[in-house]
Amino acid sequence: MSSSSTRLETFLARLYVDAHARANFKANPRAEAKKAGLSDYESATLENLDWIGLEMAARSFAKKRHLKRRPTWFAALKTRLSHLRFFRFVR
Amino acid sequence: MNSLTDRVGLGWRPDLAAGILEHLDAIDLLEVIADDFFSAPRGQVRALKTLAAQIPVVFHGVSLGLASSAPVETKRLDQMARLMDQVRPEFWSEHLAFVRAGGIEIGHLAAPPRNSSTVDAAAANLYRAQTAVGAKPLVENIATLIDPPASTLSESAWLNGILSASNCALLLDLHNVLANGLNHGYDPLEFVRQVPAERIAAIHIAGGKFISAPDGSERLLDDHLHDVPDPVFALLEETAARAPGPLTVILERDGDFPAMDSLLAQVAKARRALAKGRARRSQPVEAVA
Repeated sequence: MSSSSTRLETFLARLYVDAHARANFKANPRAEAKKAGLSDYESATLENLDWIGLEMAARSFAKKRHLKRRPTWFAALKTRLSHLRFFRFVR
Repeated sequence: MNSLTDRVGLGWRPDLAAGILEHLDAIDLLEVIADDFFSAPRGQVRALKTLAAQIPVVFHGVSLGLASSAPVETKRLDQMARLMDQVRPEFWSEHLAFVRAGGIEIGHLAAPPRNSSTVDAAAANLYRAQTAVGAKPLVENIATLIDPPASTLSESAWLNGILSASNCALLLDLHNVLANGLNHGYDPLEFVRQVPAERIAAIHIAGGKFISAPDGSERLLDDHLHDVPDPVFALLEETAARAPGPLTVILERDGDFPAMDSLLAQVAKARRALAKGRARRSQPVEAVA
């Protein structure tokens, strides 16, 4: 597949996982896109990015990564405890 | 009409195991997250085989990244192939998403730019997957909080392009359709009507919640932690009214598990929606539109 598409996906992946990359990009979208080797068309479309969606998606992805890092025994324990009325109250 | 062959099942989760095994008579099949077993000890795979001997099982992948511009990793396809060979599920499915790029793991399903380049890339990856695993996957539409940048195609045009280029069947996630429609300003019902009905083989239903955006607006998050909302059942009825083939419906629930009775009530509600949709198929087209 085109290296341009791969570069764009890599750029987006970095935006999704790296708050500093998002801040830099928001401050200077055209320059950051150029630095990543994106085409003029891609750079232009990224300037009209859905910024709110980007922040919300990044937050959602971060939560997923956090859950994956958490030991499975912890998740299982939390679920079991959630069935007890007291723990449901304090959760 | 194919109502006799429509089936409704549940996503297999360890927390639900006891409840599911107690109520196998109320569930037609189970969907298992294949990735959970890629590195599992032999005993767990044996247990999965035992489960598959009791009730039909289908596999669902979450980490291949088949809509990535980069070729799907051979190692992951080999793991899927090995598990498929061991358990022999009825079919397998994966998302049309990218989950990593340039060595960065996103941690979940991300929507790639919707353009002709990613249509071709997804078709190439689906061919690789079919070759390695020995069976084509069903492909699933994903939910996305961000409207993917650098897109030149609508979601339905992009999806239809991949279905056409790959000749794969569709696993239509109706909560994802609802979420994307509400979040990105299109009519979910219209989306269902734009998807080629003859390609729909399976359906996911789930629930989510509205979360606040920094600008005070709200977007629907597909978190699988809530009950299936009524609009999803309405979309299910519409899909059943349109799809000519048998449908396999899976209720997905990933946490905050309710009592089993509540999940079974949602399974029963899905059956009723399917029946209503199938009944509409025997009526004149004017009544459907």
